[in-house]
Amino acid sequence: MTTTLERPAPDKQAGGAPMIDRAEGWRRRAPLLPALIFTIIVTQIPFLLTIFYSLQSWNLVRPGSQSFVWFQNYADVFTDSQFRQVALNTVVMTLGSVLIAVALGLVLALLLNRQFFGRGVVRTLLITPFLITPVAAALLWRTVLLDPTLGLVNFVLSPFGASGTEWISEFPLASVMAALVWQWTPFMMLLLLAGLQSQPTDQLEAARVDGANSWSIFRELTLPHLRRFIELGVVLGTIYLVNTFDTVYMMTQGGPGVASANLPFYIYQRAFLGFDIGQSAAMGVVVVILTLIAATFALRLLFRTFSGEEEAA
Amino acid sequence: MAEVVFDQASRIYTPGAKPAVDSLDLTVADGELVVLVGPSGSGKSTALRMLAGLEPIDAGSVRIDGRDVVDVPSKDRDIAMVFQNYALYPSKTVAENMAFPLKMRGMDKEERGRRVRQAAEMLGLTDFLDRKPKAMSGGQRQRVAMGRAIVREPQVFLMDEPLSNLDAKMRVQTRAQIAELQNRLAVSTVYVTHDQVEAMTMGDRVAVLADGKLQQYATPPELYDRPTNAFVAGFIGSPAMNLLDLPRSSTGVTLGGVEVPLPREISDAAGSRDRITVGIRPEDWVLESTDADAGSVIKAVVDVVEELGSESYLYAHLAEDTSTSIVVRGPGRVKVRFGDPIAVRPNPEALHVFDVETGQRLP
Ligand SMILES: Nc1ncnc2c1ncn2[C@@H]1O[C@H](COP(=O)(O)OP(=O)(O)OP(=O)(O)O)[C@@H](O)[C@H]1O
Ligand SMILES: [Mg+2]
Repeated sequence: MTTTLERPAPDKQAGGAPMIDRAEGWRRRAPLLPALIFTIIVTQIPFLLTIFYSLQSWNLVRPGSQSFVWFQNYADVFTDSQFRQVALNTVVMTLGSVLIAVALGLVLALLLNRQFFGRGVVRTLLITPFLITPVAAALLWRTVLLDPTLGLVNFVLSPFGASGTEWISEFPLASVMAALVWQWTPFMMLLLLAGLQSQPTDQLEAARVDGANSWSIFRELTLPHLRRFIELGVVLGTIYLVNTFDTVYMMTQGGPGVASANLPFYIYQRAFLGFDIGQSAAMGVVVVILTLIAATFALRLLFRTFSGEEEAA
Repeated sequence: MAEVVFDQASRIYTPGAKPAVDSLDLTVADGELVVLVGPSGSGKSTALRMLAGLEPIDAGSVRIDGRDVVDVPSKDRDIAMVFQNYALYPSKTVAENMAFPLKMRGMDKEERGRRVRQAAEMLGLTDFLDRKPKAMSGGQRQRVAMGRAIVREPQVFLMDEPLSNLDAKMRVQTRAQIAELQNRLAVSTVYVTHDQVEAMTMGDRVAVLADGKLQQYATPPELYDRPTNAFVAGFIGSPAMNLLDLPRSSTGVTLGGVEVPLPREISDAAGSRDRITVGIRPEDWVLESTDADAGSVIKAVVDVVEELGSESYLYAHLAEDTSTSIVVRGPGRVKVRFGDPIAVRPNPEALHVFDVETGQRLP
């Protein structure tokens, strides 16, 4: 073997931070800078501006009304009963849709995880709702499915005497949630199907030899195995659904009143229909802070899940 | 505790294809440890899985304790199985893993705990009962898998290469423990391995499989001393038996230009064949002095010397016929090296003779 006089490369990297001087460091980082600067411009500057606006009383309808009011807007947000109603709607809509979608996704994944004729076709059909643009899906639900006179739902239910139900005005929140669940169930199904297929077959065989029936196998082995996939589905679904806008906008416009409005829609309403910049900026800031708190817990859960508490056996 | 019978049992994975297990006939007596051994793809695992109820039995039948189990699901066969990768339940602790089969049979918690503790003590797992399998070494996991099998006190143990993930030393140690445990519990056991040393050391009887067919089913000494065909002869024993396809001469066969006389009953059995396969185990060669008379010894040239300490193996090719290689066992300390000439003579009492075409043993 020949020996080299150069120090081997990995060594240099491992202990070698001091060997890179500042200029070299900047030279290496330089290619990333444009992206970084762009990101700062489009995210951080608007955020700072929003905080600035939130401290002002400023309604576009009354020009010249702009004045600095400190935290008055925040106080108003917390005393606004509509805001509280909308915050509750958001929680119900997000968590409700996600949990129902996970439950339905689990059932479908379990069915799809067995061999049957035409499985590929069925799987493709089941995935389709996820591939549809949310706006189109919402439109589909509002018109084709839930329309009181022409909708398919009433048509199907008419033999049971339910014809003429005004689904969207009688059950606005539930209608929006139905559309969201319909769109998100396929995603959960795919995720859980991947989870099911990653379960080692020898464990299932061992359980059968050990005398377990299908239900015990599901409860004792499959469900614990799927836990991390379920958690991932809940966290991802929540992240996406908490800022649902299009579905609400297309189906109910948040109404009647604020019965089906969620926070993104309500803020939009206050800013672009009520032109109350100060008030809506303050709401935006409050929502960001609440979301950050929730996201921190959710992400911690996610990382704990994937730090592989119970990998191989 | 029970007798296990394979009666012409077959498994055909894909219709029309060659059976993975072909008309297997095998009886495991009560309390016996039977080893299924064979090369990769010979159908050992398939046979075991048929017994476990994890593969359907396409033809013939399998009986456990006289009961035909062809249509009985695994969970009702009263068997316990140890898998190659142990198949422990990752979300459960060691204690829960071991208690699982008992729980599934509706045993109450107290009795479960008692049995698990007893098994854990037997296997030296008492300190690990609260750990998850992930936090254990391969050898410990193997013991947990054993524990999960023995708490059940089943009628039959099934083990599919349970030692193949252990290092060589652990394997030797664990194989003795398993044999001892099986002896103590006296539960009929079917043990699958591709390692013939494991088969020979552990089995009360050994079944050699090749291509889904049973080649021989016998005790280890019998398998070694009287292999029924050339396949078994070559498979059992390490290094493998020298199998040489040789022309007949008037009194025996010609090997490396030398007449090797065959015992009377062998040459009778060989009849009028003009070629036969002669099997000579490495230890059945006698090393002679290289000065010996050319007509009585076979000259060879050493290619490789393996020194194991207590003995050594000389891999050599014949001087007369360089395409024929032989393996010869020598004493622990040999002086010969690569390229040295040696002279050997087969021990005529220990020859095995097979038909060239069918591979069947002759006498
Ligand atoms: N699920 C399956 N589908 C089709 N063929 C299979 C299947 N499982 C095994 N086989 C075939 O059956 C034959 C026997 O396989 P088996 O697993 O019993 O071999 P084995 O003796 O256990 O080998 P190894 O020592 O490699 O584990 C092989 O030819 C294999 O290709
Ligand atoms: Mg196998």
